[in-house]
Amino acid sequence: MTSTVPKNKKKLSKRITAVIVTVLLWAFAAFWFAPIFWMLSTSMKSTAAAVIETPPQWIPQNPTLENYKIIFAPSGGLSLIRATLNSVIVAVSSTLATLVLSIPAAYALSRLRFRGRMLIFWIYVAVLAFPAVLFLIPHFFIINGMGLSNSYLSLILPGLGGTFGVFLLRQYMLDIPRELEDAAWIDGCSKFRFLISIVIPYIKPAMLVLSLMTFLGSWNSFLWPLLILSKADKFTLPIALIRFSAGWGDPYRGIGPMMAGAFFSVAPSLIIFIVFHRYLMKGISLGSLGKE
Amino acid sequence: MRQSHSKSPRSFRREVGSWLFLLPHLFFFILFVAVPLVFGLIISFFNWSLLKENVFIGFNNYVRTWNDSRFWPTVQHTVIFALISVPLVIIVAILFAHILKKKRFGQLWLLVAFVSPAFFGSVGILSSWKWIFASFPSGLANYYLDKVGLINNAVSWFGSTSVAWGVIILVTVWWIVGFSILLYLGALQRIPPEQYESAKLDGAGPWKRFIYITLPWIKSVLFFDVVRQAILAFGLFDQAYILSGGGPAGTTRTLVYYLYLVGFERQDFGRAAAISWYIFAIVLIFAVIQLVLVTKSIRSTEG
Repeated sequence: MTSTVPKNKKKLSKRITAVIVTVLLWAFAAFWFAPIFWMLSTSMKSTAAAVIETPPQWIPQNPTLENYKIIFAPSGGLSLIRATLNSVIVAVSSTLATLVLSIPAAYALSRLRFRGRMLIFWIYVAVLAFPAVLFLIPHFFIINGMGLSNSYLSLILPGLGGTFGVFLLRQYMLDIPRELEDAAWIDGCSKFRFLISIVIPYIKPAMLVLSLMTFLGSWNSFLWPLLILSKADKFTLPIALIRFSAGWGDPYRGIGPMMAGAFFSVAPSLIIFIVFHRYLMKGISLGSLGKE
Repeated sequence: MRQSHSKSPRSFRREVGSWLFLLPHLFFFILFVAVPLVFGLIISFFNWSLLKENVFIGFNNYVRTWNDSRFWPTVQHTVIFALISVPLVIIVAILFAHILKKKRFGQLWLLVAFVSPAFFGSVGILSSWKWIFASFPSGLANYYLDKVGLINNAVSWFGSTSVAWGVIILVTVWWIVGFSILLYLGALQRIPPEQYESAKLDGAGPWKRFIYITLPWIKSVLFFDVVRQAILAFGLFDQAYILSGGGPAGTTRTLVYYLYLVGFERQDFGRAAAISWYIFAIVLIFAVIQLVLVTKSIRSTEG
């Protein structure tokens, strides 16, 4: 009996410390995430006076959605609705095309035997280390030369040669048990049927990760669309927002609507992260170093 | 003899069949990766523009860039940025990964706060930070720093070079650290807990446990992250373009910013292409140096 009392006490104090640490971490996390809160908060303040009020109002006194109405009302040929639609079309097409191209390529490089396979694989890996900036100028001329400037294709095509997806999917495919494949051969299963009915179900999590990363990459892409798009009707969301903030020179008036636009552009990424964070975590650590 | 046997029509057909799976992707790879690399190299040897005829000028673009008084400052800025931001991101990421390793109540909230910004687009994030670092007194940074007495007057954050760089580095770490956190978190979770326990029994403190257990286990991820971040750091553009506009007086212009100005404002594409190859060369050197340093420091702790 006497010995259990200090043990319990120790346990209790340990638990209290754990609770305090957790609460402190929550608070620190809130501090770390404050720029997003501030963005949301500012976006719901409709008057310049409310925006620059001191002390800063983290919870707006008269929250309104006025700024969101402003950004979605087309002005000067610039429409955020149109830009959002453009971004969705480009991001979804990029994602689907990347999957359709990368899955069979990864399959060939992981499960099939043919001459030149390792050479191609190492070229694909080496290219991952090339900075994106090397491609800006040649892509600009290739896309212009194809007569594709200011088109959806100008935003979709250049990314399709990327090898990250092939690399990521290959890592997963290497894991498929040999016996499964042998059994399929004995059954007279063709390579194509094996890919469809065994490989694809097996790599579904990796496909999800690749889809999410391709989608977000396209959704967030900035420098390339900035260079290749000159007509407002094809602007993607980030480009439309940057053009929108050109009125930033006036220190106060544009802030509310700008923050509304910023939050609107960030929200889908936030939702995707919350829903799929487990897959993202696993996929990223796998895609980076492969199996160990 | 045997070789000719293996080249029977059937195995040949099988090989062709295998290539067919690769071919669609390979087509796009050649068109948008291989060809652009060669094409970019060719452009860099020409006086290349949209309107006039392109003239071969040999290494002229490289020489002119080398002698351009605006080129070297951008190299210097970007190198300093990389030297500070890369280690900083790695340290913060490893620290946060240790915090997140232990599952707590409200784990998702911690993940959202520390990790999710890495998945947000630059324009949204940076315009929020630009508003926080507004130059007027009611800007969030000015207001709170004044309140706690760290500054006396409203600071024009992008008005002085060192302060502007400080903000750019701070925002960059905040923004991109999440991706590295996930890398290290994945690596930490693979370490068998028994190793720590036996080290604890041997009386090893937290620092020693980190050096002798954690570091060797996360080594390969660390290598990968260092190279990845070096590539990222030398691609720095969005932060400078959106936050500081390259100012004051061009002192926050980065290499990619310089390329953007030469290529797309001045339309001197040949020189812009040459700049991109300079960037590639610097990234390569930097990545190799970093790798050597990291390898050395890990070897020395192991030995």
